[in-house]
Amino acid sequence: MAWLRNAGLGGITGSPLAFALCCALLVALLGIPLLHNGYYENLFRGIFMFSAMALGWNVIGGYTGYVSFGNVVYFGLGAYASAFLAEHGVENVWLAIPLALLVAAAFAVVLGLPILRLRGHYFGIATLGIALAVEEIVANLDALGGGSGVTLRQAEWFPQYYYAMWLVCAASLLATWLIARSKFGYALVAIRENEDAAAVLGVNPTRYKIAAWAISGMMAAAAGAVFAFANGFIDPPTAFAVDDNVFPIVMAIFGGVGTAAGPLVGAFLLTAVNETLWSHFPQIHTLFFGAVIVLVVLFLPRGLLYLRNLRGGWRGFVRSLAAYRV
Amino acid sequence: MELLLQILVNGLLAGGILAVVALGFSLVWGIMNIINLAHGAFLMLGAYLSYFLFTNWHVDPFLSVPLVFVVLFAFGYLVQRFVINFVVRAPILTTFLLTFGLSLLLVNAALLVFHGDERAVTPAYIGANFSLGPVTVPWVKFWTLLVALAITGVMQLWLTRSKTGRAIRATSMDIGAAQLAGVRVAHLYAIVFGLGAGLAGAAGVLVGLTQSLNPSMGDPYIIKAFVVCVLGGLGSVEGALVGGLVYGILEALGSQFIGTGLQDAVALCVLLVVLIVRPRGILGKATA
Repeated sequence: MAWLRNAGLGGITGSPLAFALCCALLVALLGIPLLHNGYYENLFRGIFMFSAMALGWNVIGGYTGYVSFGNVVYFGLGAYASAFLAEHGVENVWLAIPLALLVAAAFAVVLGLPILRLRGHYFGIATLGIALAVEEIVANLDALGGGSGVTLRQAEWFPQYYYAMWLVCAASLLATWLIARSKFGYALVAIRENEDAAAVLGVNPTRYKIAAWAISGMMAAAAGAVFAFANGFIDPPTAFAVDDNVFPIVMAIFGGVGTAAGPLVGAFLLTAVNETLWSHFPQIHTLFFGAVIVLVVLFLPRGLLYLRNLRGGWRGFVRSLAAYRV
Repeated sequence: MELLLQILVNGLLAGGILAVVALGFSLVWGIMNIINLAHGAFLMLGAYLSYFLFTNWHVDPFLSVPLVFVVLFAFGYLVQRFVINFVVRAPILTTFLLTFGLSLLLVNAALLVFHGDERAVTPAYIGANFSLGPVTVPWVKFWTLLVALAITGVMQLWLTRSKTGRAIRATSMDIGAAQLAGVRVAHLYAIVFGLGAGLAGAAGVLVGLTQSLNPSMGDPYIIKAFVVCVLGGLGSVEGALVGGLVYGILEALGSQFIGTGLQDAVALCVLLVVLIVRPRGILGKATA
């Protein structure tokens, strides 16, 4: 998979500079609640949420090469973990996050065993099926509010949800960086490049893929757990929203799959553009993400960060476009 | 017993449409190795086209099937020729994502133009039915099954007898050899994708007769088409037909005994069971 192989610029973590800048940016954004501006707080909490989900998608879709169209299922499970706790009187986001992580890991192991035997297209469609199926099942479960949803009572000190989402995002970024530098990360990339060869070399693909899927899901689930409290209400359509499924994928691809900083960069840039479009051109903003995917796949198949080490200037760029023509 | 018979008939009637949906999906997948996630969007466009033909010019939905097929064929041809062909030889995930983006674009464009409200195609005969012993059969569904069977029959004949059909099958077997024999692959790929889109559109007309229309009506059909292909075996007309009919019956049984709200969960279970027990499908060959 050439488009993925070339994505890692400085080894498989991506550019160290980009990563350092992202860390600095995150630290700076710790100060946002001091502005006492609800709009910025919401905006950046949203960006952290999408960053965590995009980073999560990147672990399975970018590093391991298994494109998942159902990571929103983890987001939803995380959100419902919060709802479950809230219904039983525990209205504390800091307890909801560990529960969400547990639920996501358990879900990944149980469903990963059959699902991750599938390769390529089959895995992608199966995950799409899982996302739809779990939403249906939750909507039919009266214990979790069924179709009418659950209201969560929010804490008085609201910025704690901002900091919680920040923590989820920062932890996901750090975890991605550490994974990419570890033996585990190299095993995932080996599976992406050639699963059979990886198996011959002593990597147990099933075990590694399930671990990657679990980690991927845990990032989304933690984001979902915080979202449920910050939003104050969830029902199946909000917890398993199509947008929450689509945006992280687009962001990861746009920023650069298989790099540690790429998904975060993608989440910041695309949210900024989306926000501008939404306020100035509400009519066409819904077309935006579809158009981004099409254009990125056609013109930047390796993501934005790849442009930096493209050789041959404009001509090299044009030549690279024709590589897969028929 | 009568209930079971009725369920079987309902399943068969629904399965015909699923066979047409899956046929186009299966051709595109089998010949170009593209999982077309925009297939559901094409289906939706077909349904809307027949809706407007019916409400504005009173064209009978069954008569609009060939018309819609031609329009969507042209659209699909252009999409493949000027967009997908540029990355068609890239790794499978590239085209997977590309058609995903196309699907988002088309569905959201439809949402802008047609708005989100539910619409329905309502010819005068929509509620009529006839009895076949203890079983009640709606005329509309009966005719959609016949049209669906006719479409699959024509496709099978065309693929095996016509020159273009043979070229298509040759290309799916060995693209290099086909090129040496004078097949223009870029053009042929566009025809195949056009066929996929056209069949999706035709299926959309039939779907529009049995349910209400909205811009995201096609989405569930992507997964259904995939499951039908896996069930019947990939890349063959018979596979799509058998898979469609079997899946239609399974779905009817599922909604009767498990609940109508859990259709997608049933589809997922069928998919997983087939992939684990018989990954090549009912009619698939060992090497497929």
